[in-house]
Amino acid sequence: MATLLSVSSLATQFSTRSGVVKAVDGVSWNVEEGETVALVGESGCGKSASALSIMRLIAEPAGRIVAGSVMFKGRDLLALTEEEMRKVRGREIGMIFQEPMTSLNPVLTVGRQLTEGLEIHLGMTPTAARARALELLGMVGIPDAQRRLAQYPHQFSGGMRQRMMIAMALACEPPLILADEPTTALDVTIQAQILELMKSLSRKLGVAMLIITHNLGVVARYADRVNVMYAGKIIEQASARELYANPRHPYTEGLLRSVPRLDEPRRSKLAPIEGQPPDLTHLPQGCSFAPRCRWREARCLESAPELAAVAGEWHTSACWQAEHLGAVAAA
Amino acid sequence: MGAYLIKRFFLMFPTLLGVALVTFLLIRVIPGDVVELRYSGDRGSVSQEVIDKERARVGLDQPVWKQLATWLVGLAKLDFGTSMWTGAPIWEEIELRFALSLQVAVMATVIAVLLALPLGVLAALKQDTWVDYVIRIFSIAGLAVPSFWLGIVFILVLLVFFQWLPPMVYTPFWQNPWENMAQLIWPALAVGYRYSAVSTRMTRSAMLEVLREDYIRTAKAKGLWQSLVLRRHALKNAMLPVMTVVGVEFAFLIGGLVVTEQVFNLNGLGLLFVQAVAHRDYTLLQALVMLVAGIFIFMNFLLDVAFAWLDPRVRYA
Repeated sequence: MATLLSVSSLATQFSTRSGVVKAVDGVSWNVEEGETVALVGESGCGKSASALSIMRLIAEPAGRIVAGSVMFKGRDLLALTEEEMRKVRGREIGMIFQEPMTSLNPVLTVGRQLTEGLEIHLGMTPTAARARALELLGMVGIPDAQRRLAQYPHQFSGGMRQRMMIAMALACEPPLILADEPTTALDVTIQAQILELMKSLSRKLGVAMLIITHNLGVVARYADRVNVMYAGKIIEQASARELYANPRHPYTEGLLRSVPRLDEPRRSKLAPIEGQPPDLTHLPQGCSFAPRCRWREARCLESAPELAAVAGEWHTSACWQAEHLGAVAAA
Repeated sequence: MGAYLIKRFFLMFPTLLGVALVTFLLIRVIPGDVVELRYSGDRGSVSQEVIDKERARVGLDQPVWKQLATWLVGLAKLDFGTSMWTGAPIWEEIELRFALSLQVAVMATVIAVLLALPLGVLAALKQDTWVDYVIRIFSIAGLAVPSFWLGIVFILVLLVFFQWLPPMVYTPFWQNPWENMAQLIWPALAVGYRYSAVSTRMTRSAMLEVLREDYIRTAKAKGLWQSLVLRRHALKNAMLPVMTVVGVEFAFLIGGLVVTEQVFNLNGLGLLFVQAVAHRDYTLLQALVMLVAGIFIFMNFLLDVAFAWLDPRVRYA
């Protein structure tokens, strides 16, 4: 499979009153055609900023992409003019946002919001765009599409709005969809429905997906490969299966241990990761996870390890003790 | 939407009745009445008999509840009665002045909106750049400068640099549009500038707020042109608070331009208000207050209609 999107050394910063926040601090990862890749991490680790950087929707002038490249189908998105980039948005890369409640315009009909992309990118006539919109609503499982098109977002439930967001993102059949916490704002039962829908549609249409989430359950079930982010950096990359079986970074390991499991006694306590994520304006000199790490040693506080390959399929970890961790887990 | 607007429409009437009662009673709290004032110049030389007769003529000898009842019955028939001071029918007193005040208010509103929308949107888009600063200084100046002072400056400039003065006598628009505009454009500009300042600031802050909304980001992520994001997605949402400011200001202009009218020698409602109070011309004053209150209330109704039209959440609530 060919590489569709390749992000390398991407760095995005925000200027705030308390200093420069390095939201994304030199990350590299890629998405192959048709696959689903997850970007996992706590709130504020730079997941959303990564996605917005790819779309070049970082709020300027406070936010700025300072380095790196985003190669998409052989072009560097960061080097495009604003007009060229506009043609990529929605047409080549679709985006699904976290809050379906606030991400749809309250004063425009669902039909209007669904058809405008089609009219602009594909030059469809209003009639053709409407027919396509009906088809899209059917595809994302919104019944009674004819009537629904004339309605407004507030007449839709949360789950329906997120289906609507998916339909909008899919409208022009882009080869890649960025889904930024697509289910966080939804009820648990609805979350599963939405994820199943996204998975089946991406299979059917051959769309590659980047799912941004903090939910490891989502990752396990839907992602082919996983990138774990911490404090603006990727700290571990692996195939989903490999990551669960064989985590090679203490942070990943901590995340996995803080998820409740069905195969453990019901009374067993969860083990949260101690401490708080670091202040992104004043990152420690060494490994940013070191202050919270159970395996910390002297060298961790002095210099940060780079991502390095470890045993296993497509597996890298940014930890001095990656191999050692593997041995512990195996024992 | 129908039921909502019908409800809003009929709510206007109890509000108007409330205004009528309060107005009627408060006016009578001011010491003195029209007869006393008319003869105060020759105090002592007018016999009590004449005063009583005069009071009976204008209806002030009746008990207050009866005066109120008579007035309310008249109001229901849209009959404002006659002026206590001049004896002329009230509508005759008001008609031309109302036309003049209404025209100035409409012109000032047009000027204000034409200035405020582009400037406010531009300032929001160029937030914290020199463009924004220039627009903000322009609008703060508009708030700081009284309209009547600006009016005086206009007149002086026209006189000193162009040796020309706006016409002093009011000509209705339908008689001579040119003459009419030559007189009224100046007060409309003077008032419109301050009015635009309020609206510009509102447009700017409403736009800034809307531009930060998630749905604007969604619209951009769809690859819409910047201008379409603004027109279709941002402006419609930002217009809601701006309309409120514009509507309320408009209603204020109808009766509130007392000093500016003096400067331009305009015979508008503002001046009539002051005279009515000075003369204790109860019937005229009541009619004027009802007129302005009616416009306020009707303006609010129109705003409700506009809100329902622009915002589906109101429409379907």
